[in-house]
Amino acid sequence: MITLRDVSKTYHRKKISTEALKKINLQIEKGDIFGVIGYSGAGKSTLVRLVNYLERPTSGEITVDGKHLAELNPHNLREIKKEIGMIFQQFNLLESKTIFQNVAMPLILAKTNKQVIQERVTELLAFVGLADKAASYPSELSGGQKQRVGIARALASKPKILLCDEATSALDPQTTQSILDLLKKVNEEYGITILLITHEMAVIQQICNKVAVMEEGNIIEKGSVVSVFGKPKHPTTKGFVQTVVKNELPFSIKTKLKKNQQQKLYRLDMIGDHTMESIFYYLFHTFQLQVTVVFTNMTEIQDSVLAVWYIQVEGEERNKQQAWSFLVENQVNVEEITI
Amino acid sequence: MFDTSITFGQFIQAIIDTLYMVGMSLLVGTIIGLILGILIVVTRPSGVVEMKWIYGILNPIINIVRSVPFIILLVAIIPFTRGIVGTSIGTTAAIVPLIIFISPFIARLVENSLLEVNPGIIEAAEAMGATPFQVIWYFVLPEAFGSLILSLTTATISLIGATAMAGTVGGGGVGDLAIVYGYQRFDTFAMVSTVIILITFVQVIQSIGNALARLIRRN
Repeated sequence: MITLRDVSKTYHRKKISTEALKKINLQIEKGDIFGVIGYSGAGKSTLVRLVNYLERPTSGEITVDGKHLAELNPHNLREIKKEIGMIFQQFNLLESKTIFQNVAMPLILAKTNKQVIQERVTELLAFVGLADKAASYPSELSGGQKQRVGIARALASKPKILLCDEATSALDPQTTQSILDLLKKVNEEYGITILLITHEMAVIQQICNKVAVMEEGNIIEKGSVVSVFGKPKHPTTKGFVQTVVKNELPFSIKTKLKKNQQQKLYRLDMIGDHTMESIFYYLFHTFQLQVTVVFTNMTEIQDSVLAVWYIQVEGEERNKQQAWSFLVENQVNVEEITI
Repeated sequence: MFDTSITFGQFIQAIIDTLYMVGMSLLVGTIIGLILGILIVVTRPSGVVEMKWIYGILNPIINIVRSVPFIILLVAIIPFTRGIVGTSIGTTAAIVPLIIFISPFIARLVENSLLEVNPGIIEAAEAMGATPFQVIWYFVLPEAFGSLILSLTTATISLIGATAMAGTVGGGGVGDLAIVYGYQRFDTFAMVSTVIILITFVQVIQSIGNALARLIRRN
């Protein structure tokens, strides 16, 4: 649906050039909810603006729905923008217009028949749950409601793609949740591909199926959300993952363990839907091991569970080795930990 | 009761003349000023349709005209005024310099009002695939409307001051009355009453402007 090939963007200001993006390669498939995460200044804001050509790349190629953006004339470029909706951190609604008029704006620009506008806007306001606010002005709405209007407006021209520029960063956690639910509904009910950028890993965790991590104009890691959360490689990615996946040993437990260091500590990592019971059943019964769980954490990601256990084990060495092989066969990663 | 040589009819005529000069020059000046203001906003570097040469010509012209004090402009363009309206004396003749004075002023005020519009709104418009004309017409102007009304209020009040100076070319109006009767003939009543009329004008116009702006902004 969206392809970026070797895309670079350099800004020149007063003889100082800043490389915002460095040879970015990205592929977003139809139906994806693709999240780009990074700290501010990582280049994600520039990245999202390249997709609807609010910013033009310095080099490289961008294709949207099979069309090379660089080859389009201004008219065709405006036409393809109608297939790409966008919502913003600061909502960017017209303060001087009613909610109805705001949502109707893309249709007014396209010179749509009034009757059609009336029907479409009414339907969209119902979809985002603001049917009763049609005659209100943006200043009378809360942040979450404003973003709902932004979403309705972005959907008015029946786009195939929705770009979300930090769409929940100005909202409180509860409102963020409801907006994320709405975005998921947009993806599922209308089949709209979503590209969102954020600095909050929780946003990625809750709705994205794929993620790219950006730092200093580069994509340092990308893949399915489950795999990136399960096995983050780059330190920055690990930092982001740890904001939602609490899989490191808490400090208080470390202190206690340090005092009593005779026993080895193992960390078991597991992604997926196997149940904890059966694994521990085998450890107890088949391998005759005595297991003490020191610390555990489970995090729900997508429809999967990311689980970690820190355990101490007593039993025969031979049995232990067999047990570890058994666990590895069952996609459980085993690692001896030194505190 | 009052020791004055002005008749009531003269007062009425003066008020009508002032309203005529202010009204006409405001009307034409607003049209020119809006066009100029929009042009310098859209053609400026990083504007909606960046065109450096238009901006590069208009911007200094506006500055040059604005740097000439009105009283000098009034006399300096007498040949031009005569060429346009056939005379350089009288109320209609005063309108030509008034327009030339107020248009660049309005252009600057319009520029300020339009630049105040949240750039995010323009970005949203461009993301929707709006043409440059649509960006201005459907997004920037409606958002700036309240501020534009206040700008025009300021321009109107400036015009009232300028019409008083237009009295020196026989423009007539309330300011003329104050100078010819109040100042040159030591007619204190004329002076005091014309000042009161001018104050009332300004107060009324400012209040109307504020009320309109408030209505538009719905605060």
